[in-house]
Amino acid sequence: MNTSIRKGLRSGLIFSTGIVFLVLIGFTTTISELIAEGINLDTTAGSTGNVYALSLFLGLLGLWAGARGAEKSEPDTWSKATVGGLAAGVALGIVMAVFTWLLGTLSAAGVDLRKQLVQFSKANIDFILFQTSVVNGALMHMALFTLSGLAGGLIARGLRGSWRESLRVWWASQRDRISQTSAVEYLRTSTIARYIYYGLLLVLLFLIPSRLGQYWNFTLGTVGIYVLMGLGLNIVVGLAGLLDLGYVAFFAVGAYTIGLLTSPTMHGLTWNFWLVLPVGILMAAFTGILLGIPVLRLRGDYLAIVTLGFGEIIRILVKSDMLAPFAGGPQGVRDIAGPSIFGVPFSDERDFMYLIILGILLVIFVTNRLQNSRIGRAWIAMREDETVAQAVGINTYRAKLLAFAIGAAFAGLGGILFASRNQYTGPEDHNLLVSINVLSLVIVGGMGSIPGVIAGAFVLKGLPEILRQISDYRILAFGALLVVMMILRPEGIWPSSRRRLEFHDVPEEAPPEPVHPRSADLPETAGLDATSDVPVSTDVAGEM
Amino acid sequence: MRNILETRNLTKRFGGLTAVDSVDLVVHEQTIASVIGPNGAGKTTFFNCITGFYPPEDGQIFFNGNEALLGLSPDQITQRGISRTYQNIRLFANMSALENILVGRHPRMKASWIESLLHTSSMRKEESESLDEALRLLRFVGLSGLGDQLARNLPYGAQRRLEIARALANEPKLLLLDEPTAGMNLQETSEMMRFIRNLRDELGITILLIEHDMSVVMGISEQISVLDYGIKIAEGTPAEIQGNTKVIEAYLGRGAASGLNRTPPATAAA
Repeated sequence: MNTSIRKGLRSGLIFSTGIVFLVLIGFTTTISELIAEGINLDTTAGSTGNVYALSLFLGLLGLWAGARGAEKSEPDTWSKATVGGLAAGVALGIVMAVFTWLLGTLSAAGVDLRKQLVQFSKANIDFILFQTSVVNGALMHMALFTLSGLAGGLIARGLRGSWRESLRVWWASQRDRISQTSAVEYLRTSTIARYIYYGLLLVLLFLIPSRLGQYWNFTLGTVGIYVLMGLGLNIVVGLAGLLDLGYVAFFAVGAYTIGLLTSPTMHGLTWNFWLVLPVGILMAAFTGILLGIPVLRLRGDYLAIVTLGFGEIIRILVKSDMLAPFAGGPQGVRDIAGPSIFGVPFSDERDFMYLIILGILLVIFVTNRLQNSRIGRAWIAMREDETVAQAVGINTYRAKLLAFAIGAAFAGLGGILFASRNQYTGPEDHNLLVSINVLSLVIVGGMGSIPGVIAGAFVLKGLPEILRQISDYRILAFGALLVVMMILRPEGIWPSSRRRLEFHDVPEEAPPEPVHPRSADLPETAGLDATSDVPVSTDVAGEM
Repeated sequence: MRNILETRNLTKRFGGLTAVDSVDLVVHEQTIASVIGPNGAGKTTFFNCITGFYPPEDGQIFFNGNEALLGLSPDQITQRGISRTYQNIRLFANMSALENILVGRHPRMKASWIESLLHTSSMRKEESESLDEALRLLRFVGLSGLGDQLARNLPYGAQRRLEIARALANEPKLLLLDEPTAGMNLQETSEMMRFIRNLRDELGITILLIEHDMSVVMGISEQISVLDYGIKIAEGTPAEIQGNTKVIEAYLGRGAASGLNRTPPATAAA
């Protein structure tokens, strides 16, 4: 019983910290408005729709806290669950009641808390007190959390993890049943079916931009450019294992190459877009090699720090007064040319969307070919153990340079498309956050996996666009997502088969997924086998 | 017989410690030679000097008669036909067994990244030949059917053999084995001995090994060199080494060794 109380209290306190934080940054207000809108509550001034939404939101958090508190104390009896949930609810209620009472009293006394925190306007404080008096509001918090905590505890006892297990079993059986039918088997293995998929995909890729408006084409175009960069960084980080935190530098090189060569306001040059395209890509790759020559002798953390510095140096250089006559300084470069085909200029976002899709397809093709080749295997070997990779005969220095140059070329392509689409580029387009975003999407998506990078770009760049209303909390969500991913799914959303195996050992009875297509038809003959009759010792491996 | 490996006056110092001290060693083509010595005698350091991991302070290393190895990087040395395994197995843990062997074949493949990008016919031919060769090696070391397993999921003995397969993929003239039977039971050890002999007899590879298990060393070596505190104190056939006083002293200490040489009084009385 004591443990139940202790676990419950702990859960309540942890949750209260979180909720107080959400109130401090004003998230409770925003989410209440969203919920009210979502379930069609009346939100006109003076009505109670938002207050109901707030109670709903806080109540759900209370349920969660109670369930968590009860679960932690392994509720084998109802009384334990009741106590655990109640303890969590009461702890949460007390903290919230005191917190809101304090806010309300201060506000009533005429203290302007906005000096300290911008979210604490009178309206917001009244709102968090459920639009009632200070004491009533605090009591309502107490009551709400106590009840929801208790309910959460009881629900946790009622379900006791069994539903998760049964859901999992049901899903596994369904999956097996579907995947074992001959039709699915046929669709998965036949070559014709594969071509049909690719055909459908192409048609879809062609149709989608034409069906979307300017806004969505612009948004998806941004996502697409991040996919391009993600795929590039994926080669550097995901395959070759070189942690590059200054990846934006190559993006900037691409963007400024097209800027300086096509903007008439800068140097009077008006090169054709299609001519700049290869020049810019080569410039970025060349920069990659140039940076790589001194830097790639470093390993691990040192490499990360130096590349981080390099990324910033490029941004500060183009921003500086010294280079202002050459690169435009803080104002950046305007009037960057867009592409045109047969004299018809690309006029809107949709045309650029096609161009970006073409770019992505090209990059996927290159990545795919390279990762299943001699150099791709060398990269992965280097990521696994650089010393041994060199000892088996890989020129690690050259392999690293190549990875760096190819990754840089992709970023350069992204930069060219980005600058040309915006008809502008400036130093602030190339800040550290871009590097971090790209790295995050590679990690969240799944290092070393092409579909993973695409999924990661959609989650990290696409979702915030869709959820415009909470875009103020983008960074918060970003951090939370990274933490949650690292705990629940460290291999990424859509990992490569290799990384899935790396993080989750396959159970003994399950056959491992073939990493190589041809070894499946391996004959079981012994041949020259000198040691085939050795009984393989299975338990010694642990002692390594 | 030709010298496949020759070191002259090879010296490696770490600060004040001389780990390898003026070692002269000659290994003839198609022999099985061993380097033995107590713990910390400098055996692995000696290997690391040959394979280019450490630059030696002094001396020379010749491969295949008169090719100087000094100053070459590890990948260049491997390219010339020297492969090695490690005391603590160092496979590419998250690559499949087959991929490990394919990586080992890297120096024998030529396709550049541009050829890989374009899938030229020579590149495809090379890939398919390498795959066949890797499958053959997998069979040769007795790991048929395990090609798709991640290296780290293989049992210990299989990992040892996979490491050798990876080394063989380089088609080496000289194979350096660092304690190939460490952690193996009696039966596995005897299989490994037979396997090493096979390598020499069937593939004509010269083998230099470090080993602690004396039954292995005496059983398969044609030449044994003994290191102690970095100095080569003896060299010869197994029979010569077994009777060498200096070697016994190095292993057991001076007092114990002199005790062994004297006839025990009790036995004499009986």
